[in-house]
Amino acid sequence: MSENHQRTGLLLLGVGGGGCRLAASVRAAYGEGLRVLCADTDAQPLRTAAGAGMPTVLLGGSRLSGHGTGGDAILGRLAAQDDLETLRAQMQHVRTVVVLASLGGGTGGGATPEIVKALHDMGLATACFVTRPFAFEGEVRAKLTDRVLPMIEENADSLIVIPQDDLFSDAREELLGDAIQVSESLISAGVTLLWRLLTKPGFIQLDPERLHKMVLQGGNARFGFASASGLDRAHHAVEALKNCRLLRKGDSLSKASAVMLGILAGPDLRLAEIGEVMGALRGHVNKGCLLEMGTVLDAQYEGRIELVALSFESWVAAVVQPAPSVKDAAPSAVAEPPVADAFPIQPGSRRSRAKGSKLSFGATGRGKFRDVEPTLYEGQDLDVPTYIRRGITLER
Amino acid sequence: MAIPPIAALEIGTSRTVVCVGESDNGRVKIMGVGSYPTTGVRKGQMFDLVQARTGVETAVKQAEKQSDVSIWQVLMALSGGHILSTVNPGMLTIRSKDHVVSRDDIEEVTENAKEVQLDPERQVLHTITQTFTVDDQSGIVKPEGMRCKTLSLSVMAVHGVKSRIENAVSVAKNADLEVTDVAFSAVCAALAALTTEQKRNGVVLIDLGGGTTNYVAYSNDVVVAVGSVAVGGDHVTNDIALAFNIPQNRAEELKRAEGAALIDVEGGAGRVALKADVGFEERMLNCKALHTVINARMDEILRVVRSRLHEAGVLPHVGGGVVLTGGGAYLRKVTELAQRIFGVPCRIGVPVNVDGFEQAEQPAALCTAAGLVLYGHMTYEDRGMLAPVKNIFKGWFRR
Repeated sequence: MSENHQRTGLLLLGVGGGGCRLAASVRAAYGEGLRVLCADTDAQPLRTAAGAGMPTVLLGGSRLSGHGTGGDAILGRLAAQDDLETLRAQMQHVRTVVVLASLGGGTGGGATPEIVKALHDMGLATACFVTRPFAFEGEVRAKLTDRVLPMIEENADSLIVIPQDDLFSDAREELLGDAIQVSESLISAGVTLLWRLLTKPGFIQLDPERLHKMVLQGGNARFGFASASGLDRAHHAVEALKNCRLLRKGDSLSKASAVMLGILAGPDLRLAEIGEVMGALRGHVNKGCLLEMGTVLDAQYEGRIELVALSFESWVAAVVQPAPSVKDAAPSAVAEPPVADAFPIQPGSRRSRAKGSKLSFGATGRGKFRDVEPTLYEGQDLDVPTYIRRGITLER
Repeated sequence: MAIPPIAALEIGTSRTVVCVGESDNGRVKIMGVGSYPTTGVRKGQMFDLVQARTGVETAVKQAEKQSDVSIWQVLMALSGGHILSTVNPGMLTIRSKDHVVSRDDIEEVTENAKEVQLDPERQVLHTITQTFTVDDQSGIVKPEGMRCKTLSLSVMAVHGVKSRIENAVSVAKNADLEVTDVAFSAVCAALAALTTEQKRNGVVLIDLGGGTTNYVAYSNDVVVAVGSVAVGGDHVTNDIALAFNIPQNRAEELKRAEGAALIDVEGGAGRVALKADVGFEERMLNCKALHTVINARMDEILRVVRSRLHEAGVLPHVGGGVVLTGGGAYLRKVTELAQRIFGVPCRIGVPVNVDGFEQAEQPAALCTAAGLVLYGHMTYEDRGMLAPVKNIFKGWFRR
């Protein structure tokens, strides 16, 4: 098993309560042989996770005593900083990390940007599946999500945002309690499908290297899935995928510059069906779109066909494949986001500081110390307010 | 020997404090305290000598009135980011036939160790003897009479930039005061606030001043690290002023009234009113944002101190706790924050070794001046015998 891990170099990392639940359900659906790690500030669910045999990392134990953040993203962020070393130690033989988090909470929203940055700094490729909270969860969570997303985007090689509202064609019909559960099971089903594609042998295998490459070069992505069974299953599945709300009802597919498609089916999958799926899809996407495909054959999919698609918005063919071990080697196609730098600023960081605050600080941001000899410490000017250098956005 | 009352002057970034104290049966009792807001000092350095002088004169007058002592000589406490420490080793081969360490040997090795090579623009404030090493046995306090081939001693020199020390001294001179000695403020605060028991167990004293944060660490009753960071309470105020776009004096009021070093998760939704003032309408500010700004700064200051102590390798030896002094110690929840960062118990330090502060409102803010009076009494004999040469022997910190 561990050899398999080393070979694939893939790790599924759940951050925060929601992220850990997703990771756990992916693992439950996938079975043994999936390398997973749960990181949270709340000790209680971690204990459950550890009981199920999953490695865990408690964030900010010394700061929060394992009691969670109470929805405070700043605490989540500080907690992540406290224990980055522990987290780094868990990254042996890992090349690609798939991060799962539900934003809007204290740990998911606060710790995820920090962790993604740390992973990026280690030279690992990161694909982040993050959920945007339901509209009914309130404006505070929505705002937090909006604030955090650019911070993740800055360092993640690939960011896949799953708006939970889009999981349902008509959210009014769902029971409130069911909605979260259903969305979690849908997302975990999708991620599980992806994982199976990458690791289980199939007719045409989509190997982790290809994901690694796509993640590094593809930038942000949308994620969708569909299934169908019975007669004409291939046709129905493609139609369902095209109408998948997560893919903007096919809009995302038609605009995508690269699509990674997984076909999961039983041993009764016919070559003609693959041809039908690919043909329908190729007719839907752009002419220059890169289409990668893989299949998984599994007896439990007998009579059914499942499709999972990652549609990358901006595919930039890299001239030279960057060595993953080199720090900051990933040339992500992500535009420079207009947000504050993640903190702390590493010495020698070339990124400019403090773009996030709405106030003007005069020429320097040093206030009353503007004409005083600066206090420099590890490359930082300590006279500039700490919250600016740490990129903390203040609630107004 | 009867020691006359001794006056101590501390020109802090936010307040100038003068303390007069006399020795009473072996304990020092404070007779009078004068205190006045400082102007013309930023980050512990003199910027406007004339303005700074006004504060000194007012504080001296107050202290004279209270103590009924006329002040013309003072000891002066110094701080500032320029103050650093260097550990200098001294070695001596015992030449006597029986290889027994004599008193002369100890004096010679001490002199060797004190010859610290510094930049010509730096001046030594203190030389603090640490422990002796006899051959390869370290941690010896009294080597006299031991047999060995080599005797070595490490001495910690605390030094600062000469011109800045002279600038500070000149402020006192302009106020017609004679400065008989200077001392590093954190060392003074430690003299006043730390018990022998704490020093033996290992302790860090962090003096949270207005312009600078000074620290001193003890282990086994010996000073093992001292230093100064030119960041203090003024930075907290400045951060608040910038964060909410308010003037410095309003920010200072807000910090004192509503500030806290930890972000209050439960009561996080609260808002505080910033009362109307000339040119300003009444505004409601988010309490959590205020705490966030303060927390970020205090967290950073304490972490800088922690990493300095870590670099000096003394962090594992200060399990006795953290003691906070200075005005910043009264920031709400700062002890809890320090406890989290250092992982050891933390409390506010008050001048326990000096009497006369029972009525003081914020005694932790007076630790430096009180300790300096104590320091003056402890070093009186040296000064008397060796005046005007300063700082010849400062082995006092060992006790």
